[in-house]
Amino acid sequence: MRAAHPASALLSRSFSISKPRPILASNLNCAATKSSSLTFSRSIQLPALPSVLNWRTMDKSSISTYLRQSHDRVFERNAEWAAQQRAKDPDYFTKLASGQSPEYLWIGCSDSRIPAEAITGLEPGEAFIHRNIANLVCNVDLNAMSVIEYAIRHLQVKHIVVCGHYGCGGVKAAMHPDDLGLLNPWLRNIRDVYRQHEAELDTFDDEARRYNRLVELNVQEQCRNVIKTAALQQSFEEKGFPIVHGWVFGLHDGILKDLEIGFEDTLADVKKIYNLTGKN
Amino acid sequence: MADQPPPPDTGDAFEYALSSNNAWAGYKGHQNPDFFPKLASGQAPQIRLQPGDVFVHRNIANIVSPTDINTSAVIEYAVAHLKVKHVVLAGHTSCGGAAAALGDSRVGGVLDTWLTPLKAIKAAHGEELSSISDAKERATRIAELNVDAGVKILLANHVIQEAIQDRGLKVKGVIFDIGSGRLRDLGVGNTGDAGAPEGTVRGKHAMLVFRGTNAAMKVT
Repeated sequence: MRAAHPASALLSRSFSISKPRPILASNLNCAATKSSSLTFSRSIQLPALPSVLNWRTMDKSSISTYLRQSHDRVFERNAEWAAQQRAKDPDYFTKLASGQSPEYLWIGCSDSRIPAEAITGLEPGEAFIHRNIANLVCNVDLNAMSVIEYAIRHLQVKHIVVCGHYGCGGVKAAMHPDDLGLLNPWLRNIRDVYRQHEAELDTFDDEARRYNRLVELNVQEQCRNVIKTAALQQSFEEKGFPIVHGWVFGLHDGILKDLEIGFEDTLADVKKIYNLTGKN
Repeated sequence: MADQPPPPDTGDAFEYALSSNNAWAGYKGHQNPDFFPKLASGQAPQIRLQPGDVFVHRNIANIVSPTDINTSAVIEYAVAHLKVKHVVLAGHTSCGGAAAALGDSRVGGVLDTWLTPLKAIKAAHGEELSSISDAKERATRIAELNVDAGVKILLANHVIQEAIQDRGLKVKGVIFDIGSGRLRDLGVGNTGDAGAPEGTVRGKHAMLVFRGTNAAMKVT
């Protein structure tokens, strides 16, 4: 993982299609103006791309064509994006390849509707990113712990953002009495957050409000889990950074809400039991 | 686009596109006279792969570790519940994790444990990797081998296996070249005839390179 190439940016596309692949050759004809390729890139160039693929009613060769097209689309857009970046700055990729020193570590949800860079306007190189189901930070998860350790100790990020979102499928699943197999151990962490805040959550009669509040409390607890790490505590003690923020993204309005977790107070509170700085 | 009528089943799709486009352009120009001048000025926003298109997991060195519950939960949710059509494992050049795995010193903390699969790849392909004198190229090669290994683990995942069988899920490995901004298809996975750019098939000690109608075996 690397901050230098946000997945969404790599796959961006311009209005004009410069080098269509053979499968998209038909688009050459309707790309006479910038606007035409914009208008018809989805409806004509890729006729087999409905918003929801009903693969149950499609024959095998149509599915196969669809898969080929939706695959090739990514390379097509990537080529356009790379050409655009180079056109804007011929040294863009030389600089990008020379190294990274991102300011932010972003711990967000895997949900496809919350592309971290797109909603924050962060450019390649500005944010180191980890995304998993329901933006969880579990102390036994070496995957997330490696990310946090690398971001703090090696990249020396200044801010760590745990960003959840209303409408989170992981949080929703953890509120239902279903056995989800391999997802159970992962979602258990959210059920634990519920248990920790049971008294407050049970005051909500409205399930939607309880759900929204659990999303917020989950972010707050994951921030706390970041603050429990040795890397965070030691770095903050020695250098005064990074600081941890808890945010929630609203799918209905596209706005990030700062939960104002109170980093320093939380740190002091956490250190009563989880102090790993070697100092009292 | 949802609000566009579908192209007619018979007749020329290009004619249809052009005439629809004329109508659309006329409408847009009437609605907002600045629309096209703005587009032409180069200030037009890019259209990206839209929010809602890609479910994303990102970790250090894009390692797919079969017992990692974090990655496993993402795969389970995306494949079994969201029913994604493609699983793409993307590595990249100049990867810090690859460089660390190629070195002999400890990184410290939990990172060494996380990077163990890369260390194993280094050991398994020691001969090939040590034959590459350029450090950057060596890091790129181990990143490729890492994607290849990760794709194999993905293909061994039972949720993925079921989805391949039931609905033709495609698994693929790519490398992002930070020096050029381009994605390179490694031709690994179950995408069949996808193939790598220039038709390069990499083996452990040899590369079979297809260019035009000729094929040549290059032993490295």
